[in-house]
Amino acid sequence: MSDLVFIGASVFFFSVAIWYLNGCHQSMKGGRDDA
Amino acid sequence: MTSNGWLQIGVFFTLVLLAAKPMGLYLAQVYEGRRTWLDPVMGPIERLLYRMTGVDAAAEMRWTEYGAAMLIFSLATLLLTYAVERLQHAIPLWNPQHMAAIEPYLAWNTAASFTTNTNWQSYVPEQTMSYLTQMFGLATHNFWSAAVGMALAIAFIRGIARRESKTLGNFWVDLTRGTLWVLAPMCLVYALMLVSQGVIQNLKPYETATLVETQHVTATGTDGKSVSTTITTQTIGQGPVASQEAIKMLGTNGGGFFNANSSHPFENPTPLTNLLEMVSIFLIPAGLCVTLGVMVGSPKHGWAIFAAMSVLWFAGVLTCYWAEAQPNPLLHGVEQHAISTGAAQSSGGNMEGKEVRFGIANSALFATVTTDASCGAVNAMHDSFMPLGGMVPLINIMMGEIVFGGVGAGMYGMLIFVVATVFIAGLMVGRTPEYLGKKIEAFDVQMSMLYLLIFPLIILGFAAVTVLLPNLGLSSVSNHGPHGLSQILYAYTSATGNNGSAFAGINANTHWYNSTLAIAMLAGRFLMIVPMLAVAGNLATKKIAPPSLGTFPVTTPMFTLLLTSVIVIVGALTFFPALSLGPILEHLLLRAGTSF
Repeated sequence: MSDLVFIGASVFFFSVAIWYLNGCHQSMKGGRDDA
Repeated sequence: MTSNGWLQIGVFFTLVLLAAKPMGLYLAQVYEGRRTWLDPVMGPIERLLYRMTGVDAAAEMRWTEYGAAMLIFSLATLLLTYAVERLQHAIPLWNPQHMAAIEPYLAWNTAASFTTNTNWQSYVPEQTMSYLTQMFGLATHNFWSAAVGMALAIAFIRGIARRESKTLGNFWVDLTRGTLWVLAPMCLVYALMLVSQGVIQNLKPYETATLVETQHVTATGTDGKSVSTTITTQTIGQGPVASQEAIKMLGTNGGGFFNANSSHPFENPTPLTNLLEMVSIFLIPAGLCVTLGVMVGSPKHGWAIFAAMSVLWFAGVLTCYWAEAQPNPLLHGVEQHAISTGAAQSSGGNMEGKEVRFGIANSALFATVTTDASCGAVNAMHDSFMPLGGMVPLINIMMGEIVFGGVGAGMYGMLIFVVATVFIAGLMVGRTPEYLGKKIEAFDVQMSMLYLLIFPLIILGFAAVTVLLPNLGLSSVSNHGPHGLSQILYAYTSATGNNGSAFAGINANTHWYNSTLAIAMLAGRFLMIVPMLAVAGNLATKKIAPPSLGTFPVTTPMFTLLLTSVIVIVGALTFFPALSLGPILEHLLLRAGTSF
């Protein structure tokens, strides 16, 4: 059971990191017309 | 402080200086895909790896693709290490001591620790990890996490160097070339040098030695009664140490094969290995300054950054050596009495927690170097340093470990400070800031500030919550008062900075510390890399304007001074309130006769 929690926590963290990366990308595109 | 001590410090820095240029030129050769003398050996292995994994080596990646590939790779290797740790008891390979499965909290903390190049160890390695876990789970991570750091630094440098480009290179190619052309061959030679000095390399079960002098130990049992034990034998740990030691230092990883880390004679047996270990921490980070200069077409800029790093290194080692060369004021009378009666040899300084073989100068230098970089290996216990001596490693990590820094991580961290510096310089002269011909605009500054603010937010947030939790947080510290605060602050600073050295004295192998430190390590690595890559990706898309009268030169002593000032102001002032409640208060109270 604990293993599933920690595997899930790892996947969740990296999913957040990907979402965060996408957020930075959207912010970059928002600042320029040509991106 | 002695002239002998300064001579050894001088020898160390001279070696770093001499090695920086050839190392940096070689790194530029490798990452620019130019021909090297290792191509006949590594080329076929590289091509085979790409064929097996389906990587198109010619494909370029945007910063988002580069970042996503790095995140996916890191998640996969984290889960692999977690699985190895949890299953080590069931794998019938290289486990002569029959180590049990590692409990989930500790396994996750360790997997996060080695994935992020932190190598924080909440466990005693020789009592916890099988040889398979040490080699396959941990040492391989030392290669991967170091290669990832170098790849990211190169991606940032390409962002500065390229003009009107949407891409930063190929993550898989950079990862592979960094491992095959740089880390693997250097570690092979380095490990053999360590073996020649007495570092062990075997897969034998632990040895049992009969003590020359029987020891009698009295301890308090669980029932509160005194228990006396006679000890006649000692277990001596064995294992594949040299192969792990080499990448531990060269990759600025820092996780020891033994709990005593580089103060253990099997990890660091001679003064020569001690010197080599310190030089190897700075070798690649110092070389990357030259690589930066070569790849952006401004070698002087690389040396200007090298100079800023050197100034900060010297300030750290001077303070730490000075602090440790002073005797503890509470022991002063005892030492004077010992000297006058000839009953003992006095070192004249603080020798608590230090390996006698290395002494004060080499302990202070090692502590400074290992925290300037994100290494975290130790040859002395930082917890036993004088308050101001122990504050130096803490400040080094708090500044973001950009004084040469971790392999790759130090360089990209420093480049974020460079962006902040040219922005401030632009504000001061009232012109649009430029960095090597590229205009620094709002998005670049926003992402740089995000990078710089996440770091203290994680450290101070976790430390503040922990000191408010008597059962979960405070119960693990071994000293009260400001020293206890320093222990907690150091733990979260070390984790977030991906350093991994411990202030010792704190029992971090609890559910609270294992889980929160793991989150701090992951956030301190990956949530900072993303905005850094965003800056790199944005810079790559820009035109390079020719220098004009209003361009702030980034090759002069003025730039070095301004950069150093920005680092000190941002790094030191952010944490000054916390430091004043920890080591600074402890220093003042110690002078008044109070210890903790």
